[in-house]
Amino acid sequence: MSRAAILWRIASILVAAGFIAAWQLVADLRLVSPVFLPGPDRAWAALVRGFSSGDLASKLIGTLEHMAYGWLAASIAGIALGALIGSSRMMRAYVAPSLEFLRPLPVSAIIPVAIAMLGLTQGMALFVIAFGAIWPIMLATIHGFAAVEPRLYEVARSLQMSRGAVIGKIALPSALPDILAGMRLSLTVALILSVVCEILAGLDGLGQWVLLSARAFRSADLFAGVILLGVTGYLTSIAVSLVEQRMLAWQSTAR
Amino acid sequence: MSVVARLDEARATRRQKALIAFNTATLQLGGKTIIENLDLEVRPGEFLCIVGASGCGKTTALRLAAGLYSPTSGAVTFDGEPITGPRREVAIVFQDYGKALLPWRTAAGNISLALEASGVPARERSSRIAALLRKIGLSDHADKYPTEMSGGMQQRLQIARCLAQEPTTLLMDEPFGALDAMTRQGLQDEVLSLTQMSQTTVIFVTHDLEEAIYLGDRVIGLLPHPGRIGIELDVDLPRPRDQLATREHPEFLRLRRQLFDFIKATEH
Ligand SMILES: Nc1ncnc2c1ncn2[C@@H]1O[C@H](COP(=O)(O)OP(=O)(O)O)[C@@H](O)[C@H]1O
Ligand SMILES: [Mg+2]
Repeated sequence: MSRAAILWRIASILVAAGFIAAWQLVADLRLVSPVFLPGPDRAWAALVRGFSSGDLASKLIGTLEHMAYGWLAASIAGIALGALIGSSRMMRAYVAPSLEFLRPLPVSAIIPVAIAMLGLTQGMALFVIAFGAIWPIMLATIHGFAAVEPRLYEVARSLQMSRGAVIGKIALPSALPDILAGMRLSLTVALILSVVCEILAGLDGLGQWVLLSARAFRSADLFAGVILLGVTGYLTSIAVSLVEQRMLAWQSTAR
Repeated sequence: MSVVARLDEARATRRQKALIAFNTATLQLGGKTIIENLDLEVRPGEFLCIVGASGCGKTTALRLAAGLYSPTSGAVTFDGEPITGPRREVAIVFQDYGKALLPWRTAAGNISLALEASGVPARERSSRIAALLRKIGLSDHADKYPTEMSGGMQQRLQIARCLAQEPTTLLMDEPFGALDAMTRQGLQDEVLSLTQMSQTTVIFVTHDLEEAIYLGDRVIGLLPHPGRIGIELDVDLPRPRDQLATREHPEFLRLRRQLFDFIKATEH
């Protein structure tokens, strides 16, 4: 790491520490009622208590499951549909207008429809999360497939590669940087929608934990849940970034 | 037998012996005639160079021979059969090597692509790749990505991938156009030694007149709008060619003059 990078890292840690200290100060001075705002000490204690009783861990797993299933379903469907649409100019011309209509539709508008059709079930949650998370992946995949260097398709033709080989060895690797970037974006969407679905449908997860804590005025538990959600979003995003860097190692050699 | 009939017969026998033949081939693209009534036979093992002003249809003619275009009328044949599409025994070296290589595969991986397409079993590939890398002098760069290599190395890599196809015919479109003079001369000699040994048939497009004479058994000059043959020169220079001796040969100078005058006249 360069000197400048180390300095930036130290600065960012100092900012975080300062933020926590200020939070503690506001709580200690009772600038906000402790009913609404616990200090970091109480929030941390609640976090530890939640885990040792086992309750919080199961909620975390619940949220991770919702997120993972929805995200994976969105990834598979988004890549498949995106590849289909992106690899054909005609499909792009026909389908693009419908996509432009559906894409800006807020997912929250879909939720009542999904509840009406599927009830307050896991299936509804899976559908809503996947529906929301599919867009960044599908649009990135369409772009990635449409942007494959045409010369490479001519190379493939002159090598008489099979259709499957052209997709697997040329189109997909060429579109991979776009696809992975889309998957990283939709991870956040999946987390947000997991929480929303858990709150709306009372499904086991951190969303439900946060909701129940708020209703019971257990502000320390509420904050423990929110902190855990933040950490979950942060760590999963880092994990995907690491996979991305590994899979795209060849790009780091480019100027 | 009339003179015309006898000429036709002579043409027919030449065509039979030809590996690639343009038979009054015409190609229109977007309502414009790009190539008109092109008659051209390429003998097996011949090194044919095509020169001409920019935009006169050299690339288009090569793409017809590659099967990437089909003629609007007339025919282009390979071994007597009309060309219906690209075939593995005809390899194409594109000018823009940077776009014709897979940036996510190393040098070895890019060569492997051709072997995979030909169905070479995995256990045989690494030794074949090593041999090809040695042949074009890239043995020390097997694990480099194209973006880590110089232009000359990338073009050599593309040539190696084409050789991995084990082609009988090489179609090269201004392959050294973007390279500096020293790299270019080195690659000219490499291509000559690689193709002369294996009796590979080559159609080589270039805008460099000296390069065309230095490499070719025959040089065709195209006239523009629409593309057609304007001059045809047999190159009677001894082989193997030599960068100094060949270029100082009186015949070389005479051909250069003739070709230069032709190009000058087409550009007015
Ligand atoms: N796909 C195409 N559609 C329409 N015109 C084309 C197309 N490709 C090439 N041309 C035209 O055909 C002519 C010959 O092009 P090209 O074969 O690339 O020339 P060269 O390789 O000799 O520079 C040019 O005038 C070019 O504009
Ligand atoms: Mg050209």
